[in-house]
Amino acid sequence: MGRKAHKNDSLPGSLDMLILRTLSRRDLHGYGIVQFIQQSSDNELLVEEGSLYPALQRLELNGWIDGVWGVTPNNRRARIYKITAAGRKQLAVETRKYAKLTLAIARVMGAE
Amino acid sequence: MTDVFRRLRYWIQSARRNEALREEMELHLAETAAELEAYGMTAECARAEARRRFGNVGLKHEESREIWITRFWSELGQDVRYASRTMAANKAFSALAVLSLALGIGANTAIYSFMESILLRSLPVADPGSLVVLNWHSRPPQNADKEWAHVMHGLQGRAWPGDKGEMSSGMFPYPAFEMLGDENPVFSTLFGYFNGQTKTLAVRGEAASASTEYVTGGYFRGLAVSPAAGRLIGSGDDRPGAAPVAVISFATSQNRFGGAPNAIGQSILVDNVPFTVIGVAPPDFFGVDPAAAPDLYLPLHTNLLLDGDRAARMYRDENFYWIEMMGRLRPGVTMAQAQAVLAPRFHQWVAATATTDGERAKLPALTLNPGAAGLGSLRREYSKPLYVLLAMVVLILAITCANIANLLLARAAARRREMALRLSLGAGRFRVVRQLLTESIMLASLGGAAGVLFAIWSVRALTFLFSGGRENFTLHAELNWHVLGVTAALSVVCGLFFGLAPAIQATRPDVMPALKNGRGGGARRHTQDVLVVAQIAMSFGILVAAGLFVRTLDRLHSIPLGYARENILLFSLNARQAGHRNPGIATFYENLRKRFESIPGVKSATLSQSSMIMAGEAGGTYMGTIKIGAAAIEGAGVMVTGPRFLTTMQIPLLAGREIDDRDQPGSTPVAVISEELARTYFGNENPVGRRITFVDDKRDLEIVGVSGNVRYGRLKEESPMTVFVAARQFSPDRVTYALRTAGDPLRYVQSVVEIVREADSGIPVKDVVTQAAEIDRTISREVMFAKLCTAFAVLALLMACVGLYGTMSYKVARQTGEIGIRMALGARRGAVVWMVLRRVLLLAAAGLAISVPAALIASRLVKSFLFDTQPNDPGTLALAGAVLLSAVILAGYAPARRASRIDPLAALRQD
Repeated sequence: MGRKAHKNDSLPGSLDMLILRTLSRRDLHGYGIVQFIQQSSDNELLVEEGSLYPALQRLELNGWIDGVWGVTPNNRRARIYKITAAGRKQLAVETRKYAKLTLAIARVMGAE
Repeated sequence: MTDVFRRLRYWIQSARRNEALREEMELHLAETAAELEAYGMTAECARAEARRRFGNVGLKHEESREIWITRFWSELGQDVRYASRTMAANKAFSALAVLSLALGIGANTAIYSFMESILLRSLPVADPGSLVVLNWHSRPPQNADKEWAHVMHGLQGRAWPGDKGEMSSGMFPYPAFEMLGDENPVFSTLFGYFNGQTKTLAVRGEAASASTEYVTGGYFRGLAVSPAAGRLIGSGDDRPGAAPVAVISFATSQNRFGGAPNAIGQSILVDNVPFTVIGVAPPDFFGVDPAAAPDLYLPLHTNLLLDGDRAARMYRDENFYWIEMMGRLRPGVTMAQAQAVLAPRFHQWVAATATTDGERAKLPALTLNPGAAGLGSLRREYSKPLYVLLAMVVLILAITCANIANLLLARAAARRREMALRLSLGAGRFRVVRQLLTESIMLASLGGAAGVLFAIWSVRALTFLFSGGRENFTLHAELNWHVLGVTAALSVVCGLFFGLAPAIQATRPDVMPALKNGRGGGARRHTQDVLVVAQIAMSFGILVAAGLFVRTLDRLHSIPLGYARENILLFSLNARQAGHRNPGIATFYENLRKRFESIPGVKSATLSQSSMIMAGEAGGTYMGTIKIGAAAIEGAGVMVTGPRFLTTMQIPLLAGREIDDRDQPGSTPVAVISEELARTYFGNENPVGRRITFVDDKRDLEIVGVSGNVRYGRLKEESPMTVFVAARQFSPDRVTYALRTAGDPLRYVQSVVEIVREADSGIPVKDVVTQAAEIDRTISREVMFAKLCTAFAVLALLMACVGLYGTMSYKVARQTGEIGIRMALGARRGAVVWMVLRRVLLLAAAGLAISVPAALIASRLVKSFLFDTQPNDPGTLALAGAVLLSAVILAGYAPARRASRIDPLAALRQD
């Protein structure tokens, strides 16, 4: 691991969005979510693995995701999370917020 | 809403959820490790790397849980569980702490519940805040020559001394009541009442005594009370000539009629005069004076039927003060405004009633006082004693807290390594303090809960002590929510008080030395010493108070009575209230006396106007001028007695004879005088056969005998010389019988009641009591203080000794090594004992140095409770000091002895 990956702490709350986005593609268990985020970001984003679980609990408490017992691709018992209708709505909200924010930052950075 | 629901569901399933979370995290670690292994890492390295990437598993687990359960509650749950375990592990300590706290908190709760019921509680009527009591105050009625010069020529009821010898009272002449009630702009109602004393109430031929309140027509309307049954007295009932009606208390309706509805419309006899019951007062209503709970409420003007000619004169007399008043303020009117309106009106009226310049010089001035809590008589009588008692129980609680703090400090030292370990592992200091405090507050709460039980018992015991055995005692304290709330708050405060110092000390951040050798630093030793010194100082204060009160009681008990105290049964009858009149009433009383004397076991029986101790207070006494020849006698009390009074009371007869059956209405009036009277006015001459004159009665009495000196009236007051006269010749309305009995006097009560019922079932037997109890009743406050304070002192001393013992044992245990070295170097056992005892004495000396001056100052506050005893009585102080020192040495000797038994070899090896 020579390259220092970005820990996901630059944008608070963005972990929630990433999880929701991931789950909107397919249902996954905890480890799978981490793998997916890392792979699809070309290992640019490194999720602090421990922080995933408090985040999952928070999302479940809000009713945005739902965890049920299922089986992983390696045939092991795990809680598989899926996104709920409320979660999709929340994802839309967060995506818009994120777009606005990145645009704003880009403007600041682009200004001479 | 759904959020709450989901949380709740999680809470219910929390154990399962927890397990799931753990499994998920383990799976995660396993999968990471498996992947790393696939890249070629060894299994061991892979697992470590997986953990490293994951972060703190335990912490993340906690954080995940906290999403659902707020941290505070889960930690509180942990703390409570932890504290329960600690408490269970230290059973002896916990039991001792809970027990001593129960005593301390319970005593405080009991005293506080009395204060609450006497000083704070409102009358159980609507809007008590708008009630005001009318009082007046004036300069002292006696002028410089001790002559009475005041517009108040006569008073029926209470007057009390105010500031600077002023006189205050709540009694007014009836015309003043009428004047103030006329077109009153500030009161919506002005109502009056006066104490009717006890009357004989006969229901269906069964007679019993009933305390009576005369009330004006506006009384119940003004108090805004609604009846439990029937209707209450209205203005139509309170007129001369109106049909005689009565309202009875709820308790009376239950006891005498078997229920409120049954009583309505019933005929009753009050002092043999027929009345009709029209209503029943509500259950919680006790009139306007918390000190008296009337059984019977009668319209004011019915006293014309019951109290005779005297009553008719009272209504017109502008200089006779007898009616009490309360008013209800109109909405929006303040008490100050009302006083500004009424005071000038009263002044104008009262000025017109003065006839001399002396009277005009000190006219009474009207003042209004808040009436929400009823009349102030109870407050005046009990507030100071209660504050004294409260001060004592607070001190005891403080000693208790200091004690537990001390024990906790010792234990905190034992747990120092544990705390240091926790702190160095990263536990927050606040978190650890909170955990320790949870334990203290749990101890205190348990103590408080047990204290409530103790308080229930002590409220009963205190009521008994306060009442001094009086049957009609109405001061009832109870544990209501208000009191329990205060107890709960007190428990928590105690927990914080004794828990905070040890908790803070235990978590001092200098963890390294503690981890290294397990033997603590020096600051704690100081704290413990300070606590012990404080305990000793407070115990000494309580000891001194107990000493002073016991000495006061002892002084009171050693006053020579001159008459028998033991084996005398007293009881009173009032035949006049059952319709007996002169001259038959005297014969009736005399015949009863003879029958009592014939009861087997009764050695002799007599009768008198009252018991000796109450002489001069209960009516019937001749108060006018008495002369022997031309000389007026100063300070002589008259006692109307039946035959055999001196024999029954075992008063020595020094010359002549006592009053006996020969003294009849027609024969020469006779008197027996006390020795001091004889010596003062006859010198060495024999007074028998000489004359004594009751000037106001225009009666000349022949002196037939001389008795020994007797105590006339109460113990604390100055006793006058005594003149005994014959009951057949002076015929009192009510009499008190005295029976000298073999064995316990109360065994004869049944026979007495039967004899009286046979003679006239309309006469209740009242105030049955032994002579000893009757005397103690007059000094009930002193008895109470002596008993309570002795108990308090024993408790305080015990706690202080336990504290000292604990501290010294702990010190000896810590110094085992040092003592071992000393002994190895040749120190003798005596020297070791002295080394420990010297510390003990030093602590005691420090405690005394603080508390002796404090006790000297504080004891002055209780001066008014003492009799024939100076507040700084040196004997008492010395005795208290001696008791304290011996207790302290006793408590210190056991650890000292243990120190001297230390085996030097074992002690040195231990290090």
